[in-house]
Amino acid sequence: MRQQGRFAVTCAGALTVAVALGACGGSGDVDDGTAKITLWHGYTGAQTEAITALGKQWNAEHPDQAVTLVFDGGNDDVLQKTTAGFVAGNYPDVAYEYGSSVGPLSRQPRLADLTERSQDPAVDWDDFFPAVKDASTVNGKVVAVPALVDNLALVYNKDLFARAGIAEPTPDWTWQDFRQAAAALTDKEAGVYGWSYVNDGTEDTVWRYLAMLWQAGGELLTADNKKPAFNSAAGLAALNQLRDMAVTDRSVYLDTGNQNYSNLFADGKIGMLWTGPWDLSSFDKVHYGVVRLPGYNGNHESISGPDLYMMFNRSDRKTDTAWAFTTWLTSPKVHLEYAIQTGDLPLRTSETKLPEYRSTYLKKYPGAEEFTDNLDNVQHARPNIPEYSQVSQAVGEMVQSVLLGQAQPQEALDSATETVQSVLAGS
Amino acid sequence: MITAWARRRSTADHVSGWMLVAPSVLLIGLFGLVPLVWSFAMSFQRNDLQTPAEWVGLHNYDQMLGDPVLVAALRHTLIYTVLFVPLTLVGSLVVAGALNRNIRGISIYRLAVFVPVITSTVATGVIFNFLLDPEYGLANGLLEKVGLPAQGFFSDPDQALYAMVAMTVWGWIGFGALIYLAALQSVPKDLLEAAALDGCGPVRTFWQIQVPQLRPVTAFLTTWLIINALQLFDEVYVTTKGGPLHATTVVVYYLYQQAFQYFHAGYASALACLLFVVIVLVTLIQMRLTRANDESGAA
Repeated sequence: MRQQGRFAVTCAGALTVAVALGACGGSGDVDDGTAKITLWHGYTGAQTEAITALGKQWNAEHPDQAVTLVFDGGNDDVLQKTTAGFVAGNYPDVAYEYGSSVGPLSRQPRLADLTERSQDPAVDWDDFFPAVKDASTVNGKVVAVPALVDNLALVYNKDLFARAGIAEPTPDWTWQDFRQAAAALTDKEAGVYGWSYVNDGTEDTVWRYLAMLWQAGGELLTADNKKPAFNSAAGLAALNQLRDMAVTDRSVYLDTGNQNYSNLFADGKIGMLWTGPWDLSSFDKVHYGVVRLPGYNGNHESISGPDLYMMFNRSDRKTDTAWAFTTWLTSPKVHLEYAIQTGDLPLRTSETKLPEYRSTYLKKYPGAEEFTDNLDNVQHARPNIPEYSQVSQAVGEMVQSVLLGQAQPQEALDSATETVQSVLAGS
Repeated sequence: MITAWARRRSTADHVSGWMLVAPSVLLIGLFGLVPLVWSFAMSFQRNDLQTPAEWVGLHNYDQMLGDPVLVAALRHTLIYTVLFVPLTLVGSLVVAGALNRNIRGISIYRLAVFVPVITSTVATGVIFNFLLDPEYGLANGLLEKVGLPAQGFFSDPDQALYAMVAMTVWGWIGFGALIYLAALQSVPKDLLEAAALDGCGPVRTFWQIQVPQLRPVTAFLTTWLIINALQLFDEVYVTTKGGPLHATTVVVYYLYQQAFQYFHAGYASALACLLFVVIVLVTLIQMRLTRANDESGAA
């Protein structure tokens, strides 16, 4: 029996053995009466080293509020693991979660409400970039401490621009400029494409579209998050742009996964990417430039995929520790120290004003400054609602059907609107 | 006296027997039966794994009736199974036939055929993603060399499911071939000698003497492959994630999406129950057919 044979059992197991154990009362659900806590993270490489060192430093200074750092196997499945943990009664006090997991976890009764704590002047909550502050908030309630912020900018291969004999992107580029450059860069003989779009239909497909939708003045959902709002002139303009480039011009490499595009860019096969700071370290052989996204009517909005520390309440004492540790970790000096080791972007405006930001951080990470500056272009946050993953799925399919030339933009919009409508209506 | 002694002896045997199997009984019970019963119970709940569950009776089953994605997933699973099982069977048989001989280096060939079976699904998926990449993949490179148009493979909604069949057949032929090879080697030698004396060539011997002897093994493999085809998941998860546009959304992948992406654990459990019933039915039909076949064969 190979892995697929085992899967049905594993799937049922994850769902239900967890339930069974939970019913018996897992030991992890019990408050041990101390202020010591456990933090789950999916850090690897330089990030693990940095967080481990900071954890040791904290524990030496706060023996009563010691933090045990537990590697949970990677960030991609942490939502699934924490959820199983709740069912089994064996959940962490703090978990590092993707921003898109806030919606599903907002239903969790154990989720700590941090609104009051965030008003403590010592924490200086407003110092966090707006993009992560919004992502930490559900219906006006603060439910998380920001852990990481990124955003999308235009990363381009300078050599390919020179070879095609066209001018490099400027911060004032329009969608039209972008489209023309992509077409000019595309060279089928040499296997070079102007742009690449992640076309696996997941959130990776969706968030690039959202940036375009927002630039064109559209919204994904209505302000009360009860109805779809993307079936608008803006939603159509964004899809038309994608169709014009992918179907009409054929200047876009459609990546069926989310891995190939970065390898191909690193190989000099792709002229431009809309990507984040996490990709830069694999482009060290490419002579690249970074500039904010091309805009629509002068709007160059970007989108952020922030990650968060979320706290699950066992006792007030433990949540005190969780709050104290995570806000210490994300305080300007400590976080900049961490960022220097890992290449993460600053989380707070004040970090960019510390001397080490210029003297050490920017020297070590060229390109990071454009991404930090681009945080000012993040104006919207994705809606933090429990149904977000289904909304995302519907929008992902809409974009995919247009990119593959399987549907006309308006027709795709109509069908996705209908799906999102029924998802939000709870059927 | 003797009876009492024998009875005591047999009780002792029972106890030690149960002690010996206890660990497996416990494990199978805990990880096999408990989940089975529990997901059956959960299929009558609205359960998001976060807030307290709510009993909703047959609502989840009712919802299945009007779910177009489920209908698509069932259709894809059916198409996949109908293609995957016979192709793997025939492929395995032919490969086993080719490997059933004494030539120099035969164990190397046998090993080579078996390698895909022990290769992890993730590795297989990544490699096929590269090979079948529409723009930069080796497969399209070869097609262009011989003057054929490039294909979309996993990125084309009309081809993705067939590309999935090709990838998994490749992965499973080694397993089928191994089982067939063992069976071929246990075909009585006198039958083969008799065939040779009657002037039967190697090809005819294979199809008319050896293959009919393989009926029980074929029955076993068919059931095994059908069950695995119905439970297809890993390959989909690592290559297409059910896409593009649901083209490779099969039942178990859809179940995963419902349970672990949308957190509709109740609905996902109902899907699991549906799949369970289908697999039980397939197995029963298969057993009945095999028995009928054996009886007619004996008569």
